[in-house]
Amino acid sequence: MPVMLADILILLAAIYLCIGLLFAIPFAFFGAGQIDPTARKATAGFKLIIIPGTMALWPLLAFRWLKGVAEPPEEKNPHRLAARGPENNPAREGKG
Amino acid sequence: MSLKYQAVMWNRQKKIYDSVLIAGVVLYLGLFSGLGAIFHPNATAETLLIRGFGTAALLLLHIILSIGPLCRLNPRFLPLLYNRRHLGVTMFILALAHGGFSIVQFHALGDVNPLVSVLAGETRYTSLSDFPFQPLGLAALLILFLMAATSHDFWLTNLTPPVWKALHMLVYVAYGLIVLHVVLGALQAETSPVLAALLGVGLAWVLILHLLAARKEKLPDEKTYPAAADGYVNVCAVSEIPEKCAHVALIGGERVAIFKYDGKISAISNVCQHQNGPLGEGRIIDGLVTCPWHGFQYRPQDGASPEPFKEKVPTFNVKVIGGRVWVHPQPNPPGTAVEPARIGE
Ligand code: FES
Repeated sequence: MPVMLADILILLAAIYLCIGLLFAIPFAFFGAGQIDPTARKATAGFKLIIIPGTMALWPLLAFRWLKGVAEPPEEKNPHRLAARGPENNPAREGKG
Repeated sequence: MSLKYQAVMWNRQKKIYDSVLIAGVVLYLGLFSGLGAIFHPNATAETLLIRGFGTAALLLLHIILSIGPLCRLNPRFLPLLYNRRHLGVTMFILALAHGGFSIVQFHALGDVNPLVSVLAGETRYTSLSDFPFQPLGLAALLILFLMAATSHDFWLTNLTPPVWKALHMLVYVAYGLIVLHVVLGALQAETSPVLAALLGVGLAWVLILHLLAARKEKLPDEKTYPAAADGYVNVCAVSEIPEKCAHVALIGGERVAIFKYDGKISAISNVCQHQNGPLGEGRIIDGLVTCPWHGFQYRPQDGASPEPFKEKVPTFNVKVIGGRVWVHPQPNPPGTAVEPARIGE
């Protein structure tokens, strides 16, 4: 890999992770509890332990926090989709 | 099952698991360094540490990759699965120590940023002996970081189990990168065939275990069930289901776990809400379906965890006619109460 490309990659990664760290601190204290009620009464150890993951996934978490999401998403599997009924299940409507 | 997140939900089992793990790692590193110093007296302490951490991480990765298929092949291995995430985090820490010491040893003394030196230091892609193997290790380390950093249940819940599992399947990419990292790196300088043989045996072991487990996994899915006019499908005889256990059948594109308990039959989705463990391979304990992976529990009648927990899985309408179990393939919304079918009515 050319040195210049390596330089750029390392710089971009450092910027991404620095923004992630700046975001992670308020997120651990306020954001996590907003997007997931189980995190509201979480311990200090939990707040610390989610910081590395938040640094990695901060764009997704920032999007959910800004959007005011109040519950974690429900997983999609064939039984849960079918249980929602055809109006909430694109696959059964032939749309997906 | 938790009402509030903690860093680690410690219990006796986890403490034993982690004590054995830490003792094993310390013992391995001690033995490796001790024997290394005896058999390679010219090797520096840094070199021994780099190799010790690297081989410990690689060995642990083989153990981690073996646990899933071993549990599929024999439930006696399930206790190993219980705290597998701690194995993963430990393996990442060992790999990080290996990478960190290597970068300090080989890249920190020049005037180039050590990470740039790792990525751009070697560019002979056509040479086997001088191939830039270190970026492969760095890429694997990034994947292992992502997995370790997202190992807490908070991530499992917020990414949803299927997405979380897909993310954690990247361990196979990391494994491939690490094998190449070793083949193109350490093995090129190695004169003894022992390391190459061990790596080959490890690779074959992982491959064979996965193939055997995949074969076993496929078997129950190949069956189709005849449907009656009212839509119910005829799944099995009541006598085929052991008491307090389940018969598993593929219905509606996913597995359904049909439990027999206290003279009754109930059917719920086989997919545990926690980490998608196979509920049908669990048992009814204290009147509750208990997931074999980490022990989450659900009532068989409504697929809901007992208060104050909130997990729920879809349920299915069932009936028993002439000693046979009939299940309606349309799942009810998670947590919907369904009257159990009485055996013998
Ligand atoms: S998958 Fe963890 S308890 Fe079921």
